[in-house]
Amino acid sequence: MIVPLEHIIALAAILFSLGLVCTLVWRSNVIMLLIGIEIMLNAAMLVFVGGSSKWGMPDGQVFALMIMAMTSAEVSLALALVVYLHRRRNTVDVDEFRELRD
Amino acid sequence: MWMNSGSSGTEMKLCLELIILLPLLGAIANLLLGGRLLPRRAGEVLACVAIWGSFVATLAAATAYSAPVTVEIASWLAVFDFKAPLSLYLDPLSLSLCLMITFVCGLIHIYAVEYMKDDPSYVRFFALLNLFVAAMLTLVLAENLPLLYLGWEGVGFCSYALIGFWYKDPKNATAGRKAFIVTRIGDIGLGIAIVWLFQLCGTVSILQINRMGTLLPMSVITALGLLMLLAAMGKSAQVPLMVWLPDAMAGPTPVSAQIHAATMVTAGVYLLMRMFPLIGASATVTAAIAVTGALTAFYGASCALAQRDLKRILAFSTISQIGYMMLGVGAGGITAATFHLLEHAFFKALLFLGAGCVITAMHHEQDIFRMGGLRRRLPATFWPFLGGALCLAGVPLTGGFFSKDGILGAVWLKGGALYSGLYVVGLITAFITAVYTTRMLLIVFEGEETDHCRGGSCARPDEEGHPQGAPLPRVMTITLIPLALLAIFGGLLNLPDYLGGGLLNTFLSHPGSQEQQLTHSSELLLQGLAAVVALGGMGAGWLRYGGLRRQLRLAEAQLPARGLTAFLMEGWRVDALYGLLFVRPYVRLSDFLWQKLDEGCIDDSLDRMAHLLGRCGQWLGGWGQGRVSLSLISMAAGAALLIGWFAWSLL
Amino acid sequence: MEATLFYILAVVTIIGTVMAITEKHPVHAIVYLVTSFFSLAMIFFLLAAPLIAMFEVIIYAGAVMVLFMFVIMMLDLGRPSEAGLPGVRQWILPSVLGGIILLSIMAVAVRHFSAPDTHGIISITDFSVTLFRKYGIAIEIISMQLLFAVVGALYLGRKR
Repeated sequence: MIVPLEHIIALAAILFSLGLVCTLVWRSNVIMLLIGIEIMLNAAMLVFVGGSSKWGMPDGQVFALMIMAMTSAEVSLALALVVYLHRRRNTVDVDEFRELRD
Repeated sequence: MWMNSGSSGTEMKLCLELIILLPLLGAIANLLLGGRLLPRRAGEVLACVAIWGSFVATLAAATAYSAPVTVEIASWLAVFDFKAPLSLYLDPLSLSLCLMITFVCGLIHIYAVEYMKDDPSYVRFFALLNLFVAAMLTLVLAENLPLLYLGWEGVGFCSYALIGFWYKDPKNATAGRKAFIVTRIGDIGLGIAIVWLFQLCGTVSILQINRMGTLLPMSVITALGLLMLLAAMGKSAQVPLMVWLPDAMAGPTPVSAQIHAATMVTAGVYLLMRMFPLIGASATVTAAIAVTGALTAFYGASCALAQRDLKRILAFSTISQIGYMMLGVGAGGITAATFHLLEHAFFKALLFLGAGCVITAMHHEQDIFRMGGLRRRLPATFWPFLGGALCLAGVPLTGGFFSKDGILGAVWLKGGALYSGLYVVGLITAFITAVYTTRMLLIVFEGEETDHCRGGSCARPDEEGHPQGAPLPRVMTITLIPLALLAIFGGLLNLPDYLGGGLLNTFLSHPGSQEQQLTHSSELLLQGLAAVVALGGMGAGWLRYGGLRRQLRLAEAQLPARGLTAFLMEGWRVDALYGLLFVRPYVRLSDFLWQKLDEGCIDDSLDRMAHLLGRCGQWLGGWGQGRVSLSLISMAAGAALLIGWFAWSLL
Repeated sequence: MEATLFYILAVVTIIGTVMAITEKHPVHAIVYLVTSFFSLAMIFFLLAAPLIAMFEVIIYAGAVMVLFMFVIMMLDLGRPSEAGLPGVRQWILPSVLGGIILLSIMAVAVRHFSAPDTHGIISITDFSVTLFRKYGIAIEIISMQLLFAVVGALYLGRKR
């Protein structure tokens, strides 16, 4: 363990907050919103890996891998949706997509 | 007090029950069945039969009467040691009043059938009239104060409802309200007195309270007496609560005759008579009663002098005559006051019914200066009316003369500076009474028929070509006759001692109380004086309004009233004074409370709050409109809240 | 030495991320993010997770970001967006919320993980054994999820 776990968690927290801010701010662009989600997921991965390193257990790394797999699935589907919606509405503004309201 | 044993007791009980129940049943039946189930005639007959049945029951009670009886019909209010059963008390006072009430009201009912024959809401009218009689009889026969209060409020309600009978005219409704509110001031006094008496004596039975009177401290008795005087002022339209009675003439004329002349307005006097054994012990109270009475008598008479409206003249004269009764009570002359009460009921009902005939014949014209020559046109009305007027004026040997003289005699007997002064006031009032009675008689019935009669609406000649208004129904004039006979020969009921003594006097005199009697010579002297005053007043009236001078007065009446006349006509401007003192501040306050406090403050704050909540709701509703960014923000805020709270609790 | 490297990499990661999210040009943002992910991969490596570090580079910095880039180019979003960067006012509320979360996590982390650490290195064998023995079912589920994602993407992307 090269650095205390607190520092890793602090880094992860900073990354998570940045991702959250990105998600909230970029309402005019779905792509940036998705990027924010990626950043947050990365932060989560960082915590998993850090924990795994601290306690010497591989489970954390396994979960990091799973997050990664899940993320790729999510990203592929989300980007497919973006393409689909852009084709229909010709915009990537999130607030334009509200058909699910009713 | 004690029950007659055996069959006569139950018979008496039945009679007393019937006296009250018959009018009550009449009212209920009329209310429930009238209009749809019963034909009009049946409803009218029902109403009259109920009253006359009550009269018969009273007669039966009178024949069976031997000594005062108390009859307990049922329990009514009973809480812990507070007991106010439905118990009736029959003594000479209540018996004589019951006889008078049922008889006069019976006649008035018959009269009313004709008077109201074109009115569509006769069901309400007769139901209320019957209900009134029931309430009045309850008042008179009640053995305890709560029951008396029930009747008291019952007559007050019926009076209110009947004054505003033609409620579609706001003026009438206002008059009804005025009567209700003004009498309410007095009723507060009675209410307080009843509660106080119960607290002091532990009972509400009138008999027991009267017997316990000597045990109470004098100051308390004085206070109680003044409270009851307040109640009597309200009900009997005494100064300073007399303003409602003239306006009460907005009701139909039979109502005026029955309620606002003959019966209800005397309820205050009756209350004072009933409680006299208690309150009479306080010299302050009796003096206050006497002064109130004398003042009112003078006030009413002076106002009647200037009125133009026939019914208002009679209303003010009623105020004045009730003032006499109060004066009599104040002087301790209960018998004289009772006698005058009965006598007044007869002649005032007669005058009102006569006025109703005149008004009907004149097509609801009430201004006396537009009448005239009715002596020839309405002889069947004129002669009884003349009888009533003579009684009112106190012309010697009529009933009114004897009764009024009895009161003045009682005042004289009391002696002292105060009562001597009051005696003089009474004499002056008698003079004025004679003057205004003459004025009324001469202007209404003498002279030529006015344009209003000959031309205009009422002058359509009938088939015979007589210039005649509406032909009066015979029933209306016939009902005047018994009243006139009673009024004129009512003196026989209570002749002075030197003529053999009064029937009523011996009947009414309590075994315990000794009313002092005048010596024959001084009584003769007083009566002579009164006769001179009355005749003098009539003479003065003749001088001013008789013969050719009548035309002069008519011409004067065309001009707007000025000075003293206007002052008297507006009832000493008491209405304006009260308006200034009480009504306007109250209205202002109400306006303030309504517009500033209620609408401006309470309503407005509520409105604003509702508005604010609405805005909040809209704002919150915007949340759910499916905007992704907003949902995200909200989610983040929720997460921040949860995590923040979690961290806070860990710290 | 390793610790120093960690802090340098951490700073690079944070700067890269900040630049990425404040960049109004999507392509530039992706590039910054790739930088950030590279340094994060290095951090993983330092934390004795070489396999994850490699996957991070290959899958994240490689595949996912390239996928983003493809979409951006395909939709012709490469130009700076017309609306541009969100205004300053739009940053306030998200920053406050992010700050609250950050501070909370920090506060919790500082207090509760001061216990001394242990243990040796996690070999790739350990990792693989755990992955396929212990979480075999999870692997299956994740693979099915990937399959569904492929089907879904194909469905959404088909010509009509």
